[in-house]
Amino acid sequence: MKRRDFVKVGLAGMSAVVVGSMEIPPLFRCVARAANLAFDMSFTEALVEMIDKTQVYHWLFSADAGFATTGPSLPGPTIIATYGDKITINFTNNLPQPHGFRIVGTSIGTGVIPNVNKAPANKFTLTFTAPPPGTYLYIDPFYEPVNRILGLHGAFISLPKGGNTPYGGKTTPNVQQLFNDLGSTPQFPGDPWLPPPANRSLIWLFHQVDPWFNARAQAGIFINPDTLKAKFLPRYFLISGKTGAFASDVPNISIVGNIGEPHLIRILNAGLANHSPHLHANHFYVLSKNLVVQNNVLNIDTFTVGPLDTVDWLVPMIRPPDIPGLKSTPLRQLIPHELTTVLYTLQSPLMYPMHCHMEMSQTAAGGNYPQGLITHMIFTGDVDKVPFPV
Amino acid sequence: MAITVIPRGDVPLGQEHEFFKFVCPPTFGGGPVDAQPATIKFARKLDVMADLPLPAGVKTYNGGNSLRLWLIADPNDSSSNGATFPAKTIRTKKGDVVWVDTGFSFNTHTIHWHGIEPTPMNDGVGHTSFEVSGNFTYQFATNTAGTYIYHCHKNTVLHFIMGLYGLFVVDPPQGPKFAAANAPGAFGFDPVNFSVPIDVEAAWVPGEFDSIWNDLGHNAFMQKCDQNDPAGAGTFTQNGFLNRFRPDIVHITGVVSVPGNPITDPRVSVAAKTNQNILVRLVHAGYTVQEYTLGLDATVIGEDGHPLGVPPFDKYSFPFVIPANTPFRLTSARRYDLLLNSPNAGVFPFQVKFMDWINGTVYQTAQTTVTVV
Repeated sequence: MKRRDFVKVGLAGMSAVVVGSMEIPPLFRCVARAANLAFDMSFTEALVEMIDKTQVYHWLFSADAGFATTGPSLPGPTIIATYGDKITINFTNNLPQPHGFRIVGTSIGTGVIPNVNKAPANKFTLTFTAPPPGTYLYIDPFYEPVNRILGLHGAFISLPKGGNTPYGGKTTPNVQQLFNDLGSTPQFPGDPWLPPPANRSLIWLFHQVDPWFNARAQAGIFINPDTLKAKFLPRYFLISGKTGAFASDVPNISIVGNIGEPHLIRILNAGLANHSPHLHANHFYVLSKNLVVQNNVLNIDTFTVGPLDTVDWLVPMIRPPDIPGLKSTPLRQLIPHELTTVLYTLQSPLMYPMHCHMEMSQTAAGGNYPQGLITHMIFTGDVDKVPFPV
Repeated sequence: MAITVIPRGDVPLGQEHEFFKFVCPPTFGGGPVDAQPATIKFARKLDVMADLPLPAGVKTYNGGNSLRLWLIADPNDSSSNGATFPAKTIRTKKGDVVWVDTGFSFNTHTIHWHGIEPTPMNDGVGHTSFEVSGNFTYQFATNTAGTYIYHCHKNTVLHFIMGLYGLFVVDPPQGPKFAAANAPGAFGFDPVNFSVPIDVEAAWVPGEFDSIWNDLGHNAFMQKCDQNDPAGAGTFTQNGFLNRFRPDIVHITGVVSVPGNPITDPRVSVAAKTNQNILVRLVHAGYTVQEYTLGLDATVIGEDGHPLGVPPFDKYSFPFVIPANTPFRLTSARRYDLLLNSPNAGVFPFQVKFMDWINGTVYQTAQTTVTVV
C-alpha cells in the first residue's frame, strides 16, 4: 500500500475500515449508535505483543456481542453513545479473580463480579443512562490501581444530541465561540469541526506497562496495590494500544487532513504516569478537563495529562503559522522545494510529531527512542483541499 | 485452551522506508530550503562537551564533583567558547524571519524550536525530516510574542536532559521592555496594542539530572539500523534504563541547588522595586512533576508562547491569578509568563519541588527569592 492510499484510510474517520491485511484498530470496535444499546462484554486474559515483540500478559475487556468486531482488545472496546441513551451491558467474568466495571467521574458501575469458578454467579447486567456529553474513562476499579494497570480500561464517549460542539448545550461561551469561528473567520479558514458521524475525532488512550507486574499476575501471584504504586517502572508507553512507528501513521490515532480541517482529540490516561503531550506545528485548544468544559480556553503546545485524567483538545489544523512568506500564497507554491525533497521518503505530505515531553515515555524496553508514546499530525493538502504532491 | 495473542502487526507494505527513517533518520545539510529573506540571523553549534562544577554539598552518583554536560554554543561569542548552560537565549521580535546557521562538532543533532511552528524540514525532528550533518540553516518566522525553548530532538530523552537546550524569546513589536498581554488590571496596560511595560525580566528554568545518565554516549540504547527489517525484534535494545529517571541533582536556570540553601545567584534570584512590573518566564526543563510556590500573587499572562486573551487566536482565553503561597504544577516543556507587581517591600520566597512523574516522590526542593525594595 502506498502512502497516499494509507492516508485515505485515515480520512475515513471513525468507521471501522479494513484495507488489505490491516487490522481494525481495537479502539473502534463500536456499534452504530441507537437509542437503546446492548452489549456483551467479558473479563478475559491475553498476551499483548509490544513493539519489540515481547509478549506481555494482560487482563482485558473482551467485546462479545453488540460490537462491530469481537474479541479482547487493549484498550477495551470503545463504547459510543448519545447523551440520554439507555445502555445495557451484560458482563461475564472469565478470570479466576473478582473484577468489576466503573465509569470514572460517575456513579455508573457494577459491584464486585465473582470469579469464573463461581459460575453462574460470575455475571452482572448493568443498565444505565448515558451521562452528559464528554470523554469518559472506564476501568475495573477494584484493587485500584492494579486491575486497570493490568489492562482493564477503555473509553466511553457520550455525544451531544445536537449543536456544533462536542458538548451540546452543556458548553461554555468561549468553547461555543471557538466552534462558531471555525471555518467562518479569517483566523480559521477552511471547515468547521464536523460532529459525528462525519466527524474528525480521535481517541488517544495512554497506558503504561511494567511487565514485571504483569508476569506476577500471569503466575497467579496477588499484587498489592501499594507495592504497585510505589514500584511501578514502566518499560512500554502506549497510545491506544500502539507505540512508536506503529502509532505514527495509522488510522484513528494519527491526525490526518488538509489545512483547515479541525480535529477533536479525546485524551485519556489509564496509567500511573503524568504525561506532558506536546504537539508540533499547531497550538491546540484545551476544551475540557476531567469532564469540566473550560471557559478559559488555553491555546498551548503542551499540557499535563495525569493518571485517570480525561482531556479534550481541539487541534485547529491551521497552516503552521511560522512558515515565512505570504499567507495568501498556497504552501504548494511557497515551499515547492521542500515538498519535492526525498530524504528516504518524500517530504510531502507534511508530517509532524505529537509526543509526550516526559521523554522517558518515548522509549521502549529502556531505550529505542522514539518508540513510545508518539503519533503524527499529517497535513495532506492546502486549505483549498488541493493535495500536496505524492 | 491456548491464550489469545494480540499481535503487534507488521510494517505495512510500502512503508518500509518510513519505518527505517523513524529508527535511523537520514542526514542532510545546507539550506535554507525555500529561502525567504531573513530579518535576523543567529548561529549555533552542537554539541560542546563541558563539565559543570558542582557546589559543595552536591555530588554525582559516584561521588564526582562535576557533571558532564552537552551544550549548545554560540560560535560568534568568544567568551567561554560561547557555551553556556542553558544555552544562550535567542531573542527575536514578532514578525521576524529568522535564520539559524547550525553546525556540529560531534555526532549528528537537530534543533527543535519548541512552540514555533515552521515546515517539517525546519522543525528539527530527525524522523520526520533529517539530522544535521555538517551544517544547516534553519528558517522560520516568529509570529507570536512569548516564551519558547529550543533543544536538540535526537534521542531526545537523553540529549535534552544532558543540557542541549536554551530559552527562546519573541518580543512584541514594542520591544524587549514590553510583554504581549491582554491584562486590563496590569500597570501600564495598552489595550490597543495588547502590551504591558516590563521593568524587570527574569527566567526561572528549573530542571534535573539523574547523574548516572550523564555517563552515557550520544546513541545510548538506540535501536539498531536494519534497512531490510527495520522493525524486527532483533533490532531493539533490551538493556536500556532511560525509562528510569531518578534525579539526584537539580537546578534553576543552570544554577545547581544545594539542598537547604536558597539560590542567591543573580541569574536566578530577582530584585525589583515596589510597584514595578516583573516578568518571570517560568520554563519546565526537566522530567519531573514540578510544584511551585511563590510568596507573591502572580498573574499568568502568557502560556506556551501565546499571550492569553489576545485576538485572534487567543481571544478564547484570559489571564488568571495564582494567589501567593498557592502551589501550582507544570510538566515538561510547559511555560508560564508570570506578571508580578508588589506594592510592598519584602523578600518573597519561590520554591520548586521536584516530584517523581509516577509515584510523586519528592526528590529535592530548590528555593530562590524575589526581593522588593
